[in-house]
Amino acid sequence: MSTVRLSNLSKSYGSNRVLHDIDLEIADGELVVLVGPSGCGKSTLLRMICGLEPITGGELRIDGQVVNELPPARRGIAMVFQSYALYPHMTVRGNMAFGLQIAGASRADREARILAAAKALHIDHLLDRRPRELSGGQRQRVAIGRAIVRQPKLFLFDEPLSNLDAALRVKTRIELARLHRELAATMVYVTHDQVEAMTLGDRIVVMHEGRVQQAGSPLELYEHPANRFVATFIGSPTINLVPATTQACSAAGIRVEVHAGCVVDAPTDGSALAPGQRVELGIRPEHLSVADGAGDPSRECLRFGGEVTLIEQLGESHLVYVRCADGLELVARAPGHTRLRIGDRIGLEADPRGLHVFDADGRACRRTAAA
Amino acid sequence: MKQKASWHAAVFLAPALIVYTAFSAWPLLATLRLGLYATDDTGHVAFAGLANFQKLLFDEHWWGAFRNAMINNIEFFAIHTLVQNPVALLLAALLSLRGVRGAAAYRTVLFLPTLLSVVIIGFAWQLILSPLWGVSEKLMDLVGLGDQFGPWLGQEDTALRTITLISVWQFVGVPLMLIYAALIAIPEEVVEAAQVEGAGPWRIFWRIRLPLILPTLGLVNILTFVGNFNAFDLIYAVKGALAGPNFATDLLGTLFYRTFFGYQSEVGSATMGAALATLMFLVILAGVGLYFLVIQRRLQRVAG
Amino acid sequence: MTAAASPMQRAGVLSRTALVHLTLGGYCLLVLGPILLVILNSFKTRAGIFDAPLALPTHDTLSLAGYARVLGDAAMGRMFWNSFVVTGVSLVLILLLGAMAAWALTEYRFLGNRLLALFLAFGIMVPIRLGSVAILQEMVALDLVNTLTALVLVYIAQGLPLAVMILSEFVAQVPQELKDAARCDGVGEFRIFFQVVLPLIRPAVATVAVFTMVPIWNDLWFPLILAPSEQTQTVTLGVQQFVGQFATDWNAVLAALSLAVLPILVLYALFSRQLIRGITAGAVK
Repeated sequence: MSTVRLSNLSKSYGSNRVLHDIDLEIADGELVVLVGPSGCGKSTLLRMICGLEPITGGELRIDGQVVNELPPARRGIAMVFQSYALYPHMTVRGNMAFGLQIAGASRADREARILAAAKALHIDHLLDRRPRELSGGQRQRVAIGRAIVRQPKLFLFDEPLSNLDAALRVKTRIELARLHRELAATMVYVTHDQVEAMTLGDRIVVMHEGRVQQAGSPLELYEHPANRFVATFIGSPTINLVPATTQACSAAGIRVEVHAGCVVDAPTDGSALAPGQRVELGIRPEHLSVADGAGDPSRECLRFGGEVTLIEQLGESHLVYVRCADGLELVARAPGHTRLRIGDRIGLEADPRGLHVFDADGRACRRTAAA
Repeated sequence: MKQKASWHAAVFLAPALIVYTAFSAWPLLATLRLGLYATDDTGHVAFAGLANFQKLLFDEHWWGAFRNAMINNIEFFAIHTLVQNPVALLLAALLSLRGVRGAAAYRTVLFLPTLLSVVIIGFAWQLILSPLWGVSEKLMDLVGLGDQFGPWLGQEDTALRTITLISVWQFVGVPLMLIYAALIAIPEEVVEAAQVEGAGPWRIFWRIRLPLILPTLGLVNILTFVGNFNAFDLIYAVKGALAGPNFATDLLGTLFYRTFFGYQSEVGSATMGAALATLMFLVILAGVGLYFLVIQRRLQRVAG
Repeated sequence: MTAAASPMQRAGVLSRTALVHLTLGGYCLLVLGPILLVILNSFKTRAGIFDAPLALPTHDTLSLAGYARVLGDAAMGRMFWNSFVVTGVSLVLILLLGAMAAWALTEYRFLGNRLLALFLAFGIMVPIRLGSVAILQEMVALDLVNTLTALVLVYIAQGLPLAVMILSEFVAQVPQELKDAARCDGVGEFRIFFQVVLPLIRPAVATVAVFTMVPIWNDLWFPLILAPSEQTQTVTLGVQQFVGQFATDWNAVLAALSLAVLPILVLYALFSRQLIRGITAGAVK
């Protein structure tokens, strides 16, 4: 297995720059997920690592070696395409053997590897079938098998689950995680689904408009998003954003005015801010609880009153959608036993330890407390 | 999901069926039947069984003409298969490569001759190759091959080959387009997967692209076969019904025309023409049958 | 090839690109050359044609004498008219009847459905010319010899099999929901066909038009056999006779050929993109 380092990588089509200054280090055996909305450049970046797209600027190293000019086959990588890209005219065995034949492996060696991979992926009974005789899930496993037999240094996955139905997606996700553990392989995985990213990745790289927004472990991204984009992209349902104005800022905390007269202390590092600035408070739905009765008076200003517009019942919890008087729309996660109806007027209380502060440019202030 | 049939279906289908049956299917059957009749010198037509066919195959005069036309036709087909189709394959393969600038312009130009009338083509080339005009001779002089020039169209041993190449020149467009369409239908990711596995351009062509377009290549071949054994227009335009010099360019189509309509002193015979048409039909049927029953199925299996 | 490459590989790619363009471009020259030669020389004097066949018409050699002779002959206009009428009417009817037949065969279940489809498909492989003897006899019997009608009827019969095959593919792709919805609304079968299905298979029209129109316009055989009279000659037949007549009048011959090519060239210049798109879309069968 191997390490990968992207230094200052960029990509332009003519004068149109689509990737800016990508810096990333991938450790041996890590599963790194590139995630982001359509058009953020994640697939382009993956193809650059693969060698299917030329690199405009910067350096790509695999195992310390600069591979910018190397064709895909010489980089020691294998790629699983979104559409699986199986060779329609070859059997499953033929599909898996193709790369090995090119590499000059002996017949015995080929057979052994194919059989081993097929067994691991439970497709050994399909070896003589053609792709068109297989289901979507089976085809995907053949695509993975084709990659495995080449024993590459690096596995690349381009949205491998997006063509599967929901149930199969969950099942395959778990299998991929198991595969990663078994092979102890370095993998780069592209998806637009943040749930996939959160569950599979050792580390996640959130991309937007050709730039890396943040790279870190799933929990890091969730609890300490570097900016507004990451905060809204990761986490379902989306984080609540409340406009506010700073009153006093220090390294220990920021005092903000949420609505007229209401002031709150957010435990974040405000040294970069000045009083009187517009900011946004980020509150995750699980940090908003339905206030009962009088509630804690000291929390008065963290209470938002409004009317319930929608309730999504998930069983173990409910998602309660509330519209406040000033037009603010909030989502709160309430325990499953909560009984509420559409139209009820309720108050939502925010846990101050769960507050995020984003400045006018969307940058997050570092949180000093965790909730 | 098909709808249950109603009289609507009949109304929709009837006009097409009527015209097709009346002017294509029935005439063919009628011709096959007519081949079994003979016209004697008084013009009286009577049932004659296989007499016409016996004449065609065993009468020295008829057999000679038939054999000559048949052999010429086979050579005609062979040259098309060996020249037209590989050239079309090469051009289509080049056109379908990614990043070829001006591919659209090339496509447009390459398809042009196919649209032109055979008469035009025939005459244009006749003029160009004519020793009287001397254009070809001048052009060959430029490349230093001036003394290789000859009145190829007029010489018995080169006439057929020359006319065949003119036909190839004209009809490369059709297999070109068909093969091109098949090549671009191959998903790009499949080719990329092969690249990632280390396949170079040659290997990708032989192991990936070619197998996947085999059904199309088969189709191209059978269309060429049918078209070639039916050919008439070009020969007639360039050489007239006599397909000279000395029948060197005679094909089954021209022989059929002459037999049917007669030429010079020989009077035409509808029944002999019909018999000849029957033989042509059998040849074409054999070829098409062979293709569909044997070859096509195998090609489909390979292409997956 | 989009794979990243080393400088040496890049040089290889460059020379490969050069080879590609050389081959394609070279063949294009082979294609355009003869056509251009004919057209260019049709504008020259006789002397110009023979002395400098490869040169452009210069001030000295420019001459429209050939065109004058050809266009002066009223026959040319009549021939163009005949060709337009035959090709146009045949095309429209092939499309209409073909679409109707395709619809009937793909939409309705009935005994012999598949057999009829096969019956029609047979016509793709077996050349209609083989039945010419009987066709001529039929036309004599129907008193249609030397009429454009005879040609139209034969061309419809000729063009239907392929048209039905191509159109069937497109008709089969019409979403079932549309048809079901229309039927639920009580729309009659005829209206469904004309107002729902027909508009949806418009892309197929280009494909069928190409495969149908060109062979009809360029056909020599049936005009020769069924309608060789001066009144009914098509351009293709007419030019062939004309050129035979004026064999030594090179100006006129070249002019006639150029004129005969003109409609196709113009149409092609206007519609080449759709034409090719139609072929590449419909040819993948």
